[in-house]
Amino acid sequence: MRLRAVAVALCFFSLARADEPGKQSSGQSSGHPSGPELLAKMDHAMNAFKDATWDCKLRVKEPSGQWRELTFTTYQKSPGKRLVRFTGGDNKGMNVLVESADVVYVYLPDFKRVRRMGTHVKNQNFGGSDFSSEDMSQTSFAGVFDAKVVGEDAASFILELTAKPGLDLECPKLKVWLGKEPMQPTRIEYMDASGKKLKTQERLDYKKDSPEHWQPMRIVVTDHRRNDHASEIDFLSSKIDTGLSDDLFSVRTLQR
Amino acid sequence: MRAGARGHATVAATLALLALSSLARADVELKFGGQVSSDLRYRLGGAEVPAYGTDAPFPSQQRLLKYGFSRNENRIKTQLSLSISQRVKAVADVDFVFYGYSDVKDLNATLYRERVDPYYIESDAAYLDVYRMLPHLDLRIGRQIVSWGSADKFNPTNNLNTLDYSDPLLFGKALANQMIRLDWNPIADLIITAVWVPIFRPSRLPRTAPLALTQISRPAPVQDATQRQELGFLESIYTPSQINVYALQPAPSIQNSQFGGRVAGRLANIDMSLSYYYGRWGIPTPAWSILEQNNVVDVGVVWPRMQVLGFDFAGTIDKLGGMGWWVEGGVFFPQKVTYGLYDALQPGQWDPLTFQKNKAGQYGAYQLGYPEKDRGVVIPSKPFLKLTVGVDYSFNKHVYANFQYVYGFIDEFGSGRSVFARPGSHLGDPARTEARIGHYLVAGTDFKLFNDQLLLRFFGAFKVPQVGDDSPHFTAVLFPQIVWAVWDATELSLGSFVFLGPKDSKFGDPSVGATEVFLKAKFTY
Repeated sequence: MRLRAVAVALCFFSLARADEPGKQSSGQSSGHPSGPELLAKMDHAMNAFKDATWDCKLRVKEPSGQWRELTFTTYQKSPGKRLVRFTGGDNKGMNVLVESADVVYVYLPDFKRVRRMGTHVKNQNFGGSDFSSEDMSQTSFAGVFDAKVVGEDAASFILELTAKPGLDLECPKLKVWLGKEPMQPTRIEYMDASGKKLKTQERLDYKKDSPEHWQPMRIVVTDHRRNDHASEIDFLSSKIDTGLSDDLFSVRTLQR
Repeated sequence: MRAGARGHATVAATLALLALSSLARADVELKFGGQVSSDLRYRLGGAEVPAYGTDAPFPSQQRLLKYGFSRNENRIKTQLSLSISQRVKAVADVDFVFYGYSDVKDLNATLYRERVDPYYIESDAAYLDVYRMLPHLDLRIGRQIVSWGSADKFNPTNNLNTLDYSDPLLFGKALANQMIRLDWNPIADLIITAVWVPIFRPSRLPRTAPLALTQISRPAPVQDATQRQELGFLESIYTPSQINVYALQPAPSIQNSQFGGRVAGRLANIDMSLSYYYGRWGIPTPAWSILEQNNVVDVGVVWPRMQVLGFDFAGTIDKLGGMGWWVEGGVFFPQKVTYGLYDALQPGQWDPLTFQKNKAGQYGAYQLGYPEKDRGVVIPSKPFLKLTVGVDYSFNKHVYANFQYVYGFIDEFGSGRSVFARPGSHLGDPARTEARIGHYLVAGTDFKLFNDQLLLRFFGAFKVPQVGDDSPHFTAVLFPQIVWAVWDATELSLGSFVFLGPKDSKFGDPSVGATEVFLKAKFTY
């Protein structure tokens, strides 16, 4: 019974860790912004809200070319609390609560039971998709990566991110195309330590959902190790700063 | 005029109602879902239930043959929840289950759809939630399942709902019951829960369960070896021609209601709880036996009272890659159950059959008639422990493993010893005994392939012999299966549930069940 829960819980676990406020390196301040400065701006732009509610559809492309779907609603509140309710697909009725990086609970509807999950769930992927704990929805990067600017074009800065010492990540190197308006990533390439490209994530269709925040309405991940297998999340709706109660992010609420 | 005024009033009232109803609709959230599933099983070996020439329970076509279809079930599950203003929620959950067997014992039965194609209804939920009834206090009232504990499937603290043992693949599924539950969440993760269950609901047992009492070769269920041997000797003289089992259900009185309380929270990143339960054990225990004329034996079973002090802890070990762990235990304080034996061979006369201890504290031969001496003990009042300790870990995206040490299987209750008739033995021969509460290793692993579309799962439980067991046997259950996620929300699974061990062992006992292969299909909507 825990098996499916493990698979489901994984990606949401990482979000909380990513939400931890990152320590920012002191950067140079010349005419061009430095890597750390850009990274800090990107993190700020991605998290410019107190709470958010997203209705999402995850689609996984099958070898036959057809797509499998599941739907869920995500409630998020800074810093790092997240509740995911699955509304369609194999996991319908399952709820996942991320209280912090180390505390994840899953409600299993078949057993009417709330289970505490070990953080090993980060080793799993999500429902056969290409989203994993380290690439799906990382909402802040400065605490995990050092950055340097390696290029710039009319629309984007190009950053190279390297994992901070001591962190054991599946993809310790990232190449990020950081849009100039909004100041958010449009493309992230995930690499291993040798620089080999493993996955590509594209963040598309940005829409302004509050005075301070832009939301990518579509995220597509392509896993090059799996013969360019693709998965995508469509954000069907995005509601920002609606005043979600702390009570929503509790074990008691999970089983309601 | 008057009619016109009345007309205006009606229109105004209708508009007001429409306005109110539209306001109400704005605050109402309706969710609907469910499952359609099919479950076909074939039995491979095992005792026939019921024995040849005996009527099967409803539906009568569902006889468990040595080789034959043991389940042919189709289920339509519907779930509906209605929330109003985030303060009230009503939840209903109904399963329509078609047995897949007929109950046509005579020609007239063929006239009735419900006999030709029998079905039953099952409901896990029919309750009303009132949130924040008082500050931080939630109420749930109605038919529900309350799950306590942090272990997987083997939960010594989870006693408010009895278990449905009819399907071995589920290792005991909670049976919903009508309850009143209060949850008080004063701060953070601290939750204090109180539950009251007015009327006890017994466990549902597998169709093989009656064998435990109706097979004549089985020793009397008393703890003392001498008493058992004496009773076996008597049974060999008055060999039962028929054994009828009657259940003495708890009366629906306030004294027979059950209640439980639990305090749960998190400290130092470890989830923990303490709980208390007062109620009954869901599996009946023999407590009376009356030898009637023509050697017909009537057996009475009861559901023993118990109190359980429980605890559980759960967390994660970061230094071991985030391995999950849990410890859950319960100290059970059971009601003592004795075995009342009466000889009613003389019409209108019941003579008790009891035993008396000698000076050395040992029992001798039985004594028939009054005054009654000591009855045999079936369940001693001595407290006992049930415990589950487990870990789980995901090695990578493809492999997940789960391991548990279980002290006390889901159906085990009472200190003292379980008694088995040795194969080939005769009535009165010494029985094989082993500790009632056994040690088990339960392990399982999942291999996920092809983007999680194919799941290879293998689970098993092995009974660990312990000091004091008579001639310990190897006994285990294995549960291999292949699950194929054919498409969105659609799953096919093929597998088997294998019982291993001789007949006088935990999992080899015919009353527990027999090996089956199964094919299931499930669609979730």
